[in-house]
Amino acid sequence: MKKAYKKGFNLIEAYPVKFAETVILVKYDGPVDNFSFSFPDRKVEHIIVNLCPTEPWALPNRAILRNRTHDFLNKLETVREEYFPDSHCHVVVSQQETGLVNELTQYKAGANRIYPSTKEEYLHLHTIEPVYPYDAPVLIVKNILGLDIAFDQNTIEHGILILDPQNVTGIFEHYIKKNEFNSRLIPISGTGLNDNKILKVKPGTPIKSMLELYVRTDIKYRVFLDGLLNGTEVKDLTQKIDWFTKNIVVMEERDYKTPFPYLSVNELLFTTSLMGELRRCVYCNFCDDICPVNLEPALYWHCYDRGEKHKARTYTLEKCIECGLCSFICPSKLELLQVIRECKSLK
Amino acid sequence: MKDIFKKIEQTLDKNLNKAESFIQSHPKVNFLFGALFEATDGLIRSTKDTAKSPPFIRSSMDVKQYMGGILAALFFGWVLPAIYFYGFMCVVPRLIVSFVVGVFIVDVIWVILAREERINEGGFVTCLFIPAFLPPQAPLWLIGVGAGISILFRNILGGVGHNLVNPALFGRLMLTICFPTMVVSGWQEPSIGIPTIKSLMHGVDAVTHATPLIAFKETGETASLISLMFGANTGSLGETCRITLIITGIWLCVKRIANWRIPVAYLGSVFVLSSIFSLMVGKTAAPPIFQLLSGGLIFAAFFMATDPITTTYSQAGKWIFGIGCGIITVVIRNFTSIPEGIMYAILLMNLLSVPIQSIILKIKYRT
Repeated sequence: MKKAYKKGFNLIEAYPVKFAETVILVKYDGPVDNFSFSFPDRKVEHIIVNLCPTEPWALPNRAILRNRTHDFLNKLETVREEYFPDSHCHVVVSQQETGLVNELTQYKAGANRIYPSTKEEYLHLHTIEPVYPYDAPVLIVKNILGLDIAFDQNTIEHGILILDPQNVTGIFEHYIKKNEFNSRLIPISGTGLNDNKILKVKPGTPIKSMLELYVRTDIKYRVFLDGLLNGTEVKDLTQKIDWFTKNIVVMEERDYKTPFPYLSVNELLFTTSLMGELRRCVYCNFCDDICPVNLEPALYWHCYDRGEKHKARTYTLEKCIECGLCSFICPSKLELLQVIRECKSLK
Repeated sequence: MKDIFKKIEQTLDKNLNKAESFIQSHPKVNFLFGALFEATDGLIRSTKDTAKSPPFIRSSMDVKQYMGGILAALFFGWVLPAIYFYGFMCVVPRLIVSFVVGVFIVDVIWVILAREERINEGGFVTCLFIPAFLPPQAPLWLIGVGAGISILFRNILGGVGHNLVNPALFGRLMLTICFPTMVVSGWQEPSIGIPTIKSLMHGVDAVTHATPLIAFKETGETASLISLMFGANTGSLGETCRITLIITGIWLCVKRIANWRIPVAYLGSVFVLSSIFSLMVGKTAAPPIFQLLSGGLIFAAFFMATDPITTTYSQAGKWIFGIGCGIITVVIRNFTSIPEGIMYAILLMNLLSVPIQSIILKIKYRT
């Protein structure tokens, strides 16, 4: 199969994050949000369930599967049968997890499926490299179905539903079994914490009461929602967790100078430090080497720098999936993602 | 041992913080020494800047490391071999003069006068180039003048990120125009064999008037390829030991600091074109391998032509840039009275890189 993407970056190798084995329940007595899933009003042709996190701070799939992969697949099949009949299910896993891949193929061939495919096989297994950002909707759809969708387009317009694995369990428990389903797994990690944990939280819980037991009190820290590369910063810790929150990262704020940084790179690596000074673009080509959709981000910066923001659109700006890798890798520490978003907002 | 190091670190940190707050609280001191302090502080400590907008995590590669990589490659590529071939007393004073004039006089004065924010690390690379492409016995003041012109020229154009042509080569061009005899005389004979303390200090006390390229132009003789490869021939201070230059150049390409397309395109086109020419005109054109290994071609292809800012940004443009350099080099070497054409080739292609880039963008994006 032709690769739909170019380079990307293996974040899991660069920033190894280990989560504690046990899942901890966070107690909260305040008002909570109940689970609800807005079923699409269009006919769903493909369901994609991504079990291959490409960011180290994302929820590891063992927390969802809990060694009961067959159970999970049963739930998925039931959900499909009840709500999205005639659709194809695509399960995406990392090609490095051979155990999981074997389990899935065994299940596919096994006789104890509740809804065996009568006409044609509807359950498909896909393996991808766990490289950021290969699980971004645009790339995953391009990779699995060979379809080109735009970044700001909802995949449902093409009849594709990308289901969060936790929502599979949610729909199954809440709508089919009519059980109470009111908690979500949120992984918390980063250098601002004493320990990386997976928490079971009732959406509606303020972030503060989730983190207060685990944050380091001896340092300054900042809290980020949904990943460090294109997520958002939480300024107000009383903000509440909702059903779309994926993960929380707490990073040490390094707003002071460190002597001999080249000797203590590891100390600085997983912090908010820029790891260098802001410079002009030196044409190093790092950004277009790493860009997963084959763009040349420095061109946008040159347009922006010359004050010709409107010209950036001519260089296929709309293809950008805003993964943030160009700003991540830039040795001149240019805010390329910011520039791209600003240029995109110009109509 | 670790404790001692930690203590040194802490005291250093404390004193630098004190100095910083002192400088910042006195506007006049800040005006004169602020940039100099920033520059030295930047070499010792990391910045205190943090990511304010996504992505909130950044890779550890920065421009300092980028330039540091080039400096390290140049040090092992030409400084160490040059000390072996021409002696410590020949190389080190030239480096000192180049750095003192280039970085510590011209750059610092410029930063103070122009009220720039900081001294740029690109100047170190430029100053390490200047002695490398001048003859080993070139007078010290010549190197000083070259370094001064280069850095001044770069700063006038707007510093790193704005330079139109390679500043070091521009300095060399000015020297060629102003002192035409000085830049082509003083070719010291390299000392070959097992080094003695005397040879390591002072080199061999013998000067010829010809490099292999000049000799070829005059008599048609080609030097042996092995001696060219390992540096047993006369030439500019930094260009003779080709084997170390090739190794460090490849290291730079692997580290992706230098773009591999340019040396491949440059050397490849020189090889192909000189093969064609020597088939066509016979002995008057230099044979291809001799072309590759003589003069500053290896040095230029790996270190000067790959200077990222003065080439095109597009990858396709880099191929065109390299091939253009190769064509001009071969044409100048074979069909003009000038023995070495690399400087003109790279400077010309530097000037052409802006139009090449815009044409490539026009073709690629159909604007």
